[in-house]
Amino acid sequence: MKRTWMKSITALVLVMLVVSGCGNAANSPAADPGTNNASPNNGTLTIANATDIESFDFHNNNTTVSESVLVNMFDYLIKNDNDGNKLPVLATSWEQVDDTTWRFVLRDDVTFHNGDSFTAADVKFTLERVATDGTLKQNSLYKQITAVNIVDDHTVDIVTDGPDPLLLNRLSRMGSGMLPSKYIEEKGMDEFLKAPVGTGPYKFGSWQRDDRVELLKNENYFGDAPKWDKVVFRSIPEASTRVSELLTGGVDIIASVPSTDVGRIEGEGMNVVTAPIQRVLQLILRQTEGTPTADPKVREAIDLAIDKKAIVDSIAGGAGILTRTSVTPGNFGADPSLYEQSLYDVDQAKQLLQDAGYANGGPEVSMSVQSQYSEYAQVVGAMLTEVGFKVNLDVLEASTFSEKMTSKTFGEIFMIGIGNSMNDASNNYTRYLAERAKGETDYNNPEVEELLQAASQNMNPEEREKQYQQVQQIFAKERPAVYLFQMEGMYGVGAKVDFSPRRDEMYFADEISPKN
Amino acid sequence: MILRLLPVHSPGGNEAVGKFIAKSLLQMIPVLVLISLIVFILVRVTGDPVALMLPETATDEDRALLTQELGLNEPLYKQYGLFIVNAVQGDFGTSFRYNQPALPLVLERLPASFELAVAAMVFAIVIAVPAGIWSAVKRNTFSDLFISGFSVLGKAMPNFWMGIMLILFLSVIFKIFPVSGRGGFSHLVLPAITLGVGLAAQMTRLIRSSMLEILSQDYIRTARSKGIVEAVVVGKHALRNGLIPVVTIMSLQFTSLIGGTLITETVFAWPGLGQLLVSAVNTHDMAIVQAAVFVIAVFVILMNLLTDVVYRLLDPRIKYS
Amino acid sequence: MAASSSSSSNIQLPGADELEPIAVRQRGFKHVLRLLLKSKTGTVGAALVLIVVLIAVFAPLLATHNPGQVDPINRLKPPSWLSEGAGGHLLGTDNLGRDIWSRIVYGSRVSLIVGIGAVLVSGAIGAVLGLLAAYYGRWVDALIMRVADAFIAIPTILLMLVVLAVVGPGLGTLIFVIGFTNWVSYARVVRGEVLSIKERDFVKAAKAVGSRNSRVIFRHILPNVLSSFIVISGMNVATTIILEASLSFLGLGITPPDVSWGGMLSDGRQYVATSWWVATFPGIAITVTVLGVIFLGDWLRDVLDPRMKA
Repeated sequence: MKRTWMKSITALVLVMLVVSGCGNAANSPAADPGTNNASPNNGTLTIANATDIESFDFHNNNTTVSESVLVNMFDYLIKNDNDGNKLPVLATSWEQVDDTTWRFVLRDDVTFHNGDSFTAADVKFTLERVATDGTLKQNSLYKQITAVNIVDDHTVDIVTDGPDPLLLNRLSRMGSGMLPSKYIEEKGMDEFLKAPVGTGPYKFGSWQRDDRVELLKNENYFGDAPKWDKVVFRSIPEASTRVSELLTGGVDIIASVPSTDVGRIEGEGMNVVTAPIQRVLQLILRQTEGTPTADPKVREAIDLAIDKKAIVDSIAGGAGILTRTSVTPGNFGADPSLYEQSLYDVDQAKQLLQDAGYANGGPEVSMSVQSQYSEYAQVVGAMLTEVGFKVNLDVLEASTFSEKMTSKTFGEIFMIGIGNSMNDASNNYTRYLAERAKGETDYNNPEVEELLQAASQNMNPEEREKQYQQVQQIFAKERPAVYLFQMEGMYGVGAKVDFSPRRDEMYFADEISPKN
Repeated sequence: MILRLLPVHSPGGNEAVGKFIAKSLLQMIPVLVLISLIVFILVRVTGDPVALMLPETATDEDRALLTQELGLNEPLYKQYGLFIVNAVQGDFGTSFRYNQPALPLVLERLPASFELAVAAMVFAIVIAVPAGIWSAVKRNTFSDLFISGFSVLGKAMPNFWMGIMLILFLSVIFKIFPVSGRGGFSHLVLPAITLGVGLAAQMTRLIRSSMLEILSQDYIRTARSKGIVEAVVVGKHALRNGLIPVVTIMSLQFTSLIGGTLITETVFAWPGLGQLLVSAVNTHDMAIVQAAVFVIAVFVILMNLLTDVVYRLLDPRIKYS
Repeated sequence: MAASSSSSSNIQLPGADELEPIAVRQRGFKHVLRLLLKSKTGTVGAALVLIVVLIAVFAPLLATHNPGQVDPINRLKPPSWLSEGAGGHLLGTDNLGRDIWSRIVYGSRVSLIVGIGAVLVSGAIGAVLGLLAAYYGRWVDALIMRVADAFIAIPTILLMLVVLAVVGPGLGTLIFVIGFTNWVSYARVVRGEVLSIKERDFVKAAKAVGSRNSRVIFRHILPNVLSSFIVISGMNVATTIILEASLSFLGLGITPPDVSWGGMLSDGRQYVATSWWVATFPGIAITVTVLGVIFLGDWLRDVLDPRMKA
């Protein structure tokens, strides 16, 4: 009878195993041992990010990670180099026809991964889709495109609703990855998402959500032959696990290395490379009447109380560049006189608070922050407390934070790292346009409003640049936001790979090469 | 002899089991309705789904349209009715993160989590059965103390901590197992240990005490006094009764095993339901949360039913009431 | 029933003793202590728990620094007794340069408050629902037990995660949420106990005399389920402390400026390989406390509930 016992338990376990085994078969791509320990020598490049892509619908993503993966599969008409210059990709040349029309001449030797050739019809399909379908996450940045007119098979005119100085920037970022019109019209979007097709140097291999995206070499790529047979993007949320994977050779490149692990990685003969990214960590201050931060003296005191250099040197592990503007070099309109600058004067900060009428104990302010930046917020809070502020720290998880941001219900201060995927100063200031600012910062400066409105339609680059630089100077004085520093991306790179990170955090696999 | 009859020999056994299963399945319905209510309440108090599903730049018309689409301006009871009607048809809404129906996204993840949970359970059984028996037989010796100490430690260590330590020692320093991801058997070892260690600890303690109880009972004493070798006493007489709690605990612990996958999968980048849920909760992707809670609940209830049936087959003393 | 005697006797009416068949004899503290000292693990457990409680009570005296004081320049300094250690920081400093010893000392308060608070909340909910189910039976019982089934089919941590994500983390929320999701085991035990007690003579007698339901519940039944209650609570305090750590890992634990061991352990996991002391000491604190609670709980179970005795 003992055997019966054991049998029953064994049977139960077997049932479980069989059930899970069935599932395995259905997910065969994941059950491929060895993909993990692939060395770059066999032509596989493995990159580990903290998150996965959202979808293979390029127009329905809005994270940097998604774009950094998908740029290998889809091409833009033009792309940015690391300094913000526009390089031709699918378009060979472009010119402005009039204030609202741009003409693009397309390459005639491009085919999609399924063999369809790339033509003006695909451009029309792609851009009109993202411009008109309000459910797409990228739609709001493409609504300005009103029509795409086919001139001939390899020439298109793109028409915008008004003068749009940003059109080239729009066309070189994630909402404008070119889709195969014929394929999607015939098979439908659902089929496309199962077997996505682009024009890029790598084609779709497999996707196991929250695990890995595998891309394969596109033998028929129109440009230089792709360097890798296979590119794998893994999603590993836990930072220490990512570091361990790098150290054991499981992956070649990892994103977001904790600054304290730099020594460990370098000790193993691997590299940690950093590059400034588009993100600037900043405090945004409410100027609603009646709040302490409505007083410019209080805002200045906040700025002066924070020792940004100490924060960068300690918590950021040196990976940050001080700045007094959020428009960093490489973006249109940057004002270099405010870059690599920072103010810090505790005594002056205390004096300012006294002048502002807070002789006995400074003002009470609340500071909301997303848990990701909680360390920074605690240090900033301590520094503000030092000069007399009473700070109520409010650490929120990401989605609650964005909910509060959407509903404009933050208190005096919120800390946020803001990126800029448009590579243009206008993106940094939409928040301060009077209509948008209402209820959030309640910032209202007619002069700034006029400058911003004028610049948004100004097709003269020199003039436009001046306008944004003027805005930055006003911001540096008025401090609707206090800028802490420009963040730097920290990547761990295995011994067998050469990688220099980009300002826009993209991974163009062909800019990464095997080390011999 | 406590166990005389095997279920196959028990007259009318199969019929009774059938009735029991039918009754249990029937009892699932109110439980599922209650779960749906819990889920519904949870999801509806999550603030404003409309704000979450639309970009920051959305206009008021966009919001109004979506509110209309989601039926959010209907009275609550109507919303719940709609929710139930859709849920019965397997429609838990569309994940706004993936822009796909939620249920298939959840089901697609089930095998990975199940594989992990089963491996963890197998690990727990393999460790706990011998350890529990050994420490009961060798009561109050050094090895008993050692095992008891370890089993308490196993319970006292948070999952994620265990996982990180295992990776650090067994993967990075000694390079025995791969660090993360799902793949062959070697990928399964560390996450299964991480997930199973708490269960193993609990089972060890349980088996030990139930073995102790049985070893002190009359029929065992009788067997001993008859001069039967100790190993036979333990192996033949005590063990089969002592293992009953294992089956019970396997059923009861399945829920917490699934709960443990949330953490284990995050540490090991294991592409299962746990990770999906963590990211869904973090992004307030409530369609996924709804569907996942439901799928897990149904799964757990069915697992409990299955173990219940096995349990009853094993122990004819239990009536099919 | 020795240990429960002091508490239960307080609630009993004069005269209730005659109806009470279970021997609840007044034996006093000395007897309990003697029983405790007879068990090695029980003694160790009680001592550990006592130490933690004392640390929590006398935290301001024991802490050497303000637990929230940030000092980024002196971050990740090793314990002072190591050769490269920073002076004055007994257990070193964490990623923001805060004193780990002081944080552990203050963190004991949060861990205990969360552990005990959550157990009280879930115990109260479970007791009420369990009593109602058993006492009134029929549809009340069926309904409550189905609700319990529903709760048990959803992993606790998942339920908590969703609620915390919605409500937002915080000490009070955490206690309430853990309490609210963990009541099922109490309800089940209380229900089982009451069902068996209900049929006993003294309860029947009380009802026959015409005692009101509430009176019968509080005067006669509640004291009797107390022992099972204490046994489960021991286990639950332990699991709650672990749960808090897990929730911290998932980003929904105690938020600053509050300090919790779980939060410290979770924050410290990044520095395991480089600055081991950041996570190791809170980890030890958690393990030792949970160990103590489990040992003490095991002993209590043996003493209070002979049927569960191994």
